[in-house]
Amino acid sequence: MNMFTLVLRNISRRKGRFIFTLLGIVIGMAAFVALLSLGGGMRAEINDQARAMGANIIVTPADWCTFDQISIFTGESLPASLQEEVLDQVRELDGIFAVPYLTQMSAIQNVPVAVIGIDPEPMKEFSRWEIADGQYFESSEQHGAVLGAATAETFDLGVGDEVRFRGEVFPVIGVLESVGSIDDIAVYLPLPVAQVAFEQEGFISYIGVQVEHLDQTDAYVAAILDVANVAVNTNDQLLETVMGMLGSIEVTLQAIAGISLIAAAFGIINTMMTAIYERRREIGILRSIGSTRADIFKIFLLESGLYGLLGGILGSVVGVLISVFAAPTLLASFDQMMKGASPEASIEPMTFVFAIVFAIVIAVASGIYPAWKAAGLSPVEAISYE
Amino acid sequence: MNNMIIQTHSLSKTYSSGKLETPALQGISMDVPAGSFSCIIGPSGHGKSTLMHLIGGLDRATFGDVIIDGVKIAGLNDSELSDLRASKLGFVFQFFNLLKNLTAAENIETAMMFSANAPKGAKAQRVRALELLAMVGLEEKADAKPSELSGGQQQRVSIARALANDPDILLMDEPTGNLDSQSEKEVLDQLFKIHKDGKTIVIVTHSSELAAQAEIVYEIKDGRLNDVIRKGGTNE
Repeated sequence: MNMFTLVLRNISRRKGRFIFTLLGIVIGMAAFVALLSLGGGMRAEINDQARAMGANIIVTPADWCTFDQISIFTGESLPASLQEEVLDQVRELDGIFAVPYLTQMSAIQNVPVAVIGIDPEPMKEFSRWEIADGQYFESSEQHGAVLGAATAETFDLGVGDEVRFRGEVFPVIGVLESVGSIDDIAVYLPLPVAQVAFEQEGFISYIGVQVEHLDQTDAYVAAILDVANVAVNTNDQLLETVMGMLGSIEVTLQAIAGISLIAAAFGIINTMMTAIYERRREIGILRSIGSTRADIFKIFLLESGLYGLLGGILGSVVGVLISVFAAPTLLASFDQMMKGASPEASIEPMTFVFAIVFAIVIAVASGIYPAWKAAGLSPVEAISYE
Repeated sequence: MNNMIIQTHSLSKTYSSGKLETPALQGISMDVPAGSFSCIIGPSGHGKSTLMHLIGGLDRATFGDVIIDGVKIAGLNDSELSDLRASKLGFVFQFFNLLKNLTAAENIETAMMFSANAPKGAKAQRVRALELLAMVGLEEKADAKPSELSGGQQQRVSIARALANDPDILLMDEPTGNLDSQSEKEVLDQLFKIHKDGKTIVIVTHSSELAAQAEIVYEIKDGRLNDVIRKGGTNE
């Protein structure tokens, strides 16, 4: 006989209460692990999108807010407040390859779609696009649309079909090879055509820039700021901003999971306090046969810790299952925000270990007060308890 | 006297509840010889069980001292007192006080968890538990839960548990108070056997038949030691 066996026997005697108390921890830890895994997945997806973008520097209007800047990664409609002349000024700088974007939102079959006005030839080189079907724009004035691979597939569109934006019909002239980024889920028009269609003549949304020497990015940024009144962010800075915002969201979600864990902790405290009153006589018996206060404290703390260990393991498993199997549903709005991207949960082994340790710490911390109360019982009062 | 295994000096216990103070024991001084069979008798509520709890270190005296085998228990901390209970004393209670979720053998093994005298290792402890169960005639009930045992059988398991760490002293609070006459006989036979093996036995009882068989009878009345009757008719 040892303490662990004694604790197991105590738990097995009250299976119902044990299961319900354990469920509290399991739900809390499952939410915690699922949110960590899904948050990790979203981070990985944003990272991928940023890398796939191809630009080292983003030139935006000086008055853009953070949301506008982040929307570059997500394909949301962007305000077109950058004058097209700025593009020429930037292109005149040495070592810089710049392309314009005019990003507008429209719809195909009532589903929102990003329509992007581009400078066809430079853009093809900038983004390393290949044509999967049909042809690419032959000129900047061509009245037609090229579809990203996912857009064509989603709406079952191909060369010869038509798309309609702002009442104007555009024949589909080509479909791009998939590049695995938000480029796949947009419709492309030549910039002048898009400017007319969306009544944005002379304006673009932002400029994507590739620099010749990555180690001199700061110098390129300074040069751009010298020639135009714009905001210049490196890709990394934008990414940092997005990640910062995502971090805030994650912290909020984790705080919610934390609240459920706190509720679970109180569940443990309640169960253990009830157990003390129910097991007073048992405590008295153990004291009469020679257990010390420390032994009683250990027995109750071990029981709490067991809730944490089992709750942590089960909660982590459930959390991983939720993040794997329920991710498509849970991340539906994120998918929509990322315009068709398919983020998957990022399950790190350390998340698992951290969750179990965290659950044990919470459970043990919850058990300290009840264990202390149990250890403090007078043996004679405990043994005399009816 | 050198062979006194239990001594109490001016032992008093007062229970306090707010401003209300209730004296339970007042100035009890008694000596219990090693290897004796003693009974503590007296009316209900006059302090017999309180005296046993103080002797057993389950409660602290308000005044006075208990000396067990030369050790003053008033000076012991919780750990030392627990060690004393685990190694020197065995308790048997009226309501058996077995742990309901453990088998008979496991109840005995639990007592070995806390004693330095106990056999080390699960196997050795199981062997010892089975020996003790055999001694009380319950070897075939080793895996039975208390709910599967009769009152007499539970009390015999409780006696086996009290002997788990081979203590010198057995303290018993109404060990036959909850048993039918057949079970009472079985338990008493067991106690006499244990006494013959040299253990000191102190029993709190209302049973005049049991008290008549004791070597020494301590009578407690109104929290005071009213009389000490030694076998052979000597009163103090």
